[in-house]
Amino acid sequence: MNSFVDHTVNGLIVGNIYALLAVGLALIFGVSNLINFAHGSVYTVGAFIGWYAITRLQAPLWLTILLVIAGCALLGMAIERIGLRPLAGKARIAPLLATIGISFVLDQVVQLIVGPDPRALPGPLPNWRLQLGGGTIGALDLLIAGIGVVSAAVLYGFLRFTRLGWAVRATAQDRDAAQQMGVNIHAVNQSVFAIASALGGLSGLLVGMYYNNISPAMSFQATLKGVVAVVIGGVGNVPGAIAGSLLLGLTESYGVALFGTPYRNLFAFLLLIAILVWRPNGLFGGTKKLPPEPLTGTFIAPSRPIRLPTWAWAALVGVLIVLPLVVHAPYLLQTLTNAWLYALLALSLTLVAGTVGQISLGHAGLLAIGAYASALLALDGHLPVPLAIVLAGLVTAGLGTLLVYPAFRLRGHYVSIATLSIGEIVALAILNWESLTHGPIGIAGIPPVQFSNRLIDAGPGFYWLTLAAVVALALLQNRLLGTHLGRSFRAVRDDDVAARAHGLSPNRYKALAFGFGGFAVGIAGALTAHLYSYINHETFTSQISILALTIVILGGMGNVAGAVIGAVALIGLPELFRITAEYRMLIYGAALLLLVRFRPQGLLGTH
Amino acid sequence: MPTNVPANVPASPEPLLSVRQLSRRFGGLTAVDAIDLQVAPGELVSVIGPNGAGKTTLFNLISGLDAADAGQVQFAGRDVTDAGAETVAALGLARTFQHGRVFANLSVLDNVLVGAHSRLRAVRPRAPALLSALAELALALWRPATVRHEEATLRDDALAIVAMFGDRLTPRLEHPAHSLSYANRRRVEIARALALKPQLLLLDEPTAGMNESETTEMLAIIRTLKERGQTILLIEHKLELVMQLSDRVLVMDNGRRIAEGRPESVRNDPAVIEAYLGHSGVGRTNVGAPVALAA
Amino acid sequence: MFHFESLVATRRALLGWLVATAFGSAGAAPAAGEPLYFGVSGPLTGQNAQYGAQWKAGFDLALEDINANGGINGRPLAYLFEDSQSDPRQSVAIAQKFVADPRILIELGDFSSTASMAASPIYQRAGLVQLGFTNSHPDYTKGGDFVWSPSISQADSQPLLADLAVKSVGLKRIAVLHLNTDWGRTSKDVFVKAAQERGAQVVASEGYQADEKDFRSTLVRVRDAKPDGLVLISYYADGALIASQIRSTGIHLPVVAVGSVYSPKFIELGGAAVNGIATNTTFFPDEPRAEVQNFVKRFRAKYNREPDAFNAYAFDAVNIAAQAIRTANTTRDRRAVRDALYKIKDVPSVVFGKATFDPTTRRVNGVRSVDLIVKDGAWAVRDEKSAKAAAVAAK
Repeated sequence: MNSFVDHTVNGLIVGNIYALLAVGLALIFGVSNLINFAHGSVYTVGAFIGWYAITRLQAPLWLTILLVIAGCALLGMAIERIGLRPLAGKARIAPLLATIGISFVLDQVVQLIVGPDPRALPGPLPNWRLQLGGGTIGALDLLIAGIGVVSAAVLYGFLRFTRLGWAVRATAQDRDAAQQMGVNIHAVNQSVFAIASALGGLSGLLVGMYYNNISPAMSFQATLKGVVAVVIGGVGNVPGAIAGSLLLGLTESYGVALFGTPYRNLFAFLLLIAILVWRPNGLFGGTKKLPPEPLTGTFIAPSRPIRLPTWAWAALVGVLIVLPLVVHAPYLLQTLTNAWLYALLALSLTLVAGTVGQISLGHAGLLAIGAYASALLALDGHLPVPLAIVLAGLVTAGLGTLLVYPAFRLRGHYVSIATLSIGEIVALAILNWESLTHGPIGIAGIPPVQFSNRLIDAGPGFYWLTLAAVVALALLQNRLLGTHLGRSFRAVRDDDVAARAHGLSPNRYKALAFGFGGFAVGIAGALTAHLYSYINHETFTSQISILALTIVILGGMGNVAGAVIGAVALIGLPELFRITAEYRMLIYGAALLLLVRFRPQGLLGTH
Repeated sequence: MPTNVPANVPASPEPLLSVRQLSRRFGGLTAVDAIDLQVAPGELVSVIGPNGAGKTTLFNLISGLDAADAGQVQFAGRDVTDAGAETVAALGLARTFQHGRVFANLSVLDNVLVGAHSRLRAVRPRAPALLSALAELALALWRPATVRHEEATLRDDALAIVAMFGDRLTPRLEHPAHSLSYANRRRVEIARALALKPQLLLLDEPTAGMNESETTEMLAIIRTLKERGQTILLIEHKLELVMQLSDRVLVMDNGRRIAEGRPESVRNDPAVIEAYLGHSGVGRTNVGAPVALAA
Repeated sequence: MFHFESLVATRRALLGWLVATAFGSAGAAPAAGEPLYFGVSGPLTGQNAQYGAQWKAGFDLALEDINANGGINGRPLAYLFEDSQSDPRQSVAIAQKFVADPRILIELGDFSSTASMAASPIYQRAGLVQLGFTNSHPDYTKGGDFVWSPSISQADSQPLLADLAVKSVGLKRIAVLHLNTDWGRTSKDVFVKAAQERGAQVVASEGYQADEKDFRSTLVRVRDAKPDGLVLISYYADGALIASQIRSTGIHLPVVAVGSVYSPKFIELGGAAVNGIATNTTFFPDEPRAEVQNFVKRFRAKYNREPDAFNAYAFDAVNIAAQAIRTANTTRDRRAVRDALYKIKDVPSVVFGKATFDPTTRRVNGVRSVDLIVKDGAWAVRDEKSAKAAAVAAK
């Protein structure tokens, strides 16, 4: 009984911490309809500003807090002004990607300045502790709770009783109408970003002090947990964000209590999926209605695809086939082989995200399923490797579609959040289902590809094998897009309500797309497993999902050739950038920002 | 033989659409209040009323995009009260939307072809869901002769429908819908609906936002459809249009039926006049109130 | 605790080293000319970037010494560090790059087993030695006879930890918290077996993710299993996090941690909460052994901070590689370098004292260790006095 109290208290404490992050995210989503993936980076910057103030300037706590708030508010305003405002009229995918690019840039700049080591952030607070249940809480716990309550109250007052607050709420309800009424939308956005970022930075400072540990690598987890909390509470809903955060903290705490520590995040994401499926507007959101009528494509940048003549493609493929015979450059071949594997992933994602409009951020989970399926079929099932690879493709198609099916009823950003969570759940399931996957130990000794005594491991053989897979699946996908399924997919993407009104079942076509795409990804994962000979739950991370989406955007969403070209460009270029290794992520993030700003339809145009 | 009327129109006066006591509430607000409506084959019935009367909601209920709280809808001899939009469409009901919903990134031709989706038979075999979907994928990729033939037929049908709009759409067949003018987008929407070869066509304010000449063109098209025997349910604000086209008119206000009958009788119904011009003392709510009413 | 035999061995080694240096330096001029290269695949950016930075510090220090004393048969030794982010995709590409660059005679890294083992087939096929000096995965060297590892084998080090926990500290009901990676998992499995062999019971075992920050619920769960002590199988950052949360959960028990927490950062990040935590480590800067003092003094002088185990591993790895290349007496022949690894004996090593590879396992056998404890905010050798003081402080 004692322990139950302790777990509850712990859950509330952790939830309290998430709440500080979640409030800022909720505010931004409410007004700009944007998930700010850079929020975690602002949180990190805040922590380091605080570190500098406390350890270098010897500043007292109140001054530190002020500096952090001011610094991060300015940073937030800069992000809005430079990164997001120029994207105002563009496709809605643009700000989402811009914030991802910004997060890369910010994280890398911080790391370049302070170095990658985690450091201590001593909190200049009295050291007393209060007994609560079996454990204790300290001054910092109370401070965090206090600041949480105060900022929520201040925010509430601001939104309720001040002119600017009304302007913010009006813009959140209906941006165009507010603008018509004379509301200065730019001022509203700037204020919202300033407030949200100030809160984000402050939470970085407080959490850093709480754990006495800050590092430039802490952004991603912060954003992820914040997003989960916000969705549970109902996006755009500030009190909901707080309630959602507390609920998230409690869920994690009870999950650990009942099942053990490895299940902590699993429960968090399962809760998220449950909310998305049953109450997509969150626990405190409104009721569902038919979505407003779109006049033009909502999530994709309309453009005309650039088409090269068939003979040009044939010539290019010819050159690629002949390359290993003409040039002795194993490094180049390895890079290209890697690019082909990513191309398979990108083909799948461009179908699902580009053609059908399901912006999936969890595609790496499908890679993992394919890799593990093939490895296990070959090792434990003793199947010949080529058969294992094909079967793995089919398993991924089926299982992947099944896993993502609950997300089909969602739209817009929710699809991305749901797929991100499903990807994390797959990774966590792989980690914990030890009897099948060997858990964290991973699977070693995966046999290389073998066609009746002919070994095809790395080198020209493997290069040709993956190239063949890419060409075959690209041609098949092209053919598919030319059929009635192609226009059915696009119809579902452009307006699923109108599609239903003409007899198309969106679920059916989304499932078909995920099934077809899942096969390609499964093959890619399987080939990877047999190439590496060793895989574990860390081989396919969520960063790969985001990289895949960037490839797809670069090539042009829905564009088959674009997916392949994008993979070559984005996998080849980092190899070129190897010269400036420490700056690679920085350049990558900046490139993403430029792409999104100046050419969201990508290199070859959307389709 | 008119190309747009399906062959199995019942000869008897059995109503094609029968709506009984249909109701829909949103929280405290009753958007549609116990509406009764019958539409016989070949009829053109108009639904009119001030903004917010519940007309579009009624369409959503009939077409299956929204679920009723009470009442019944029978279409083509079947109870479709709880049926989803896909099912109702497959039975032969097509609709357009109040502000126009085309598939923005699809070409004009593709938009129209999608309209014919529910008529696909060769490439979409009847079977339990999973098998049917897999078969659809396989057949689409393999493209046997039956599938190719069906696709070609659909394409011919689409071209014929598009030709109905003169040279408005035909020169723009490959243009993406978002690049079209507003009026053309609405035309595409109607063409798409016609591609379904519907037994019943629901048109939601097809001339909203159009100028005089565009409205006249649309009037001609709707008249042509009517002459071909198409059964139509029409929401319109432009009362001259309503008077010229309709066999019957249903007037709604605040979710309730306030009048129904032949156009002339409805026009002079005091309750109708009150609804359009009245609510006196509350403020001017009658956007779109026609001057022609006094004529 | 020091073992007497090792003290004798230390003096011998010291003498031998001095003699060698004296003779060596009599004719040694700084190395000159075109450098010989080894390749490094490791994380410079990404989640594990801090370890890549530690590596570099160790490498640079070792090279300073080597190149000041004649390099490799007169030529300087240098390295090409490619950022893999400890990502198998990139380590594989880097492997191809190194394999294709004829200047590279041997490869060091990658940081994680995932990244290293993915690249092993490439190094093996091409005949370039992959020296995974931080890869302790039990299957790592099974990748082939070009796959070598001087990293401490779990089979050797975990029983020493069990000795510390069960025999010295006297724990009978142990709760283990371990990092849920391949390293943490295998370590935990070996530790549990060793502890049980020594008569202790493992009453709880909790695996946590590397990016986890909050351990309160885990600790409550552990507390409910009624252990009489905690064992942490962690790196220094997560170890410090756990330590600082133990007290707030109402746990007042002795804590023993695996040697990878040994780092000045453990104390910096953990503050007062880590006082009293015991560990045993293969590397302790105050150990008077010649190899250790040589390394520590020069590290402090060059970088103005205390070295940790990762610096030491990197330092050792370079010395091993240098010795192999020197013995092979080659500038191009990678096979000869591999063959040399079978031949070299007793390479001076901070961690091992003297490193010799076992030809069957291609690992280095034998591990030295010293028991340490955190006392008053600093690492000190653990003896009876300090142990008692810690036990009192923990109550």
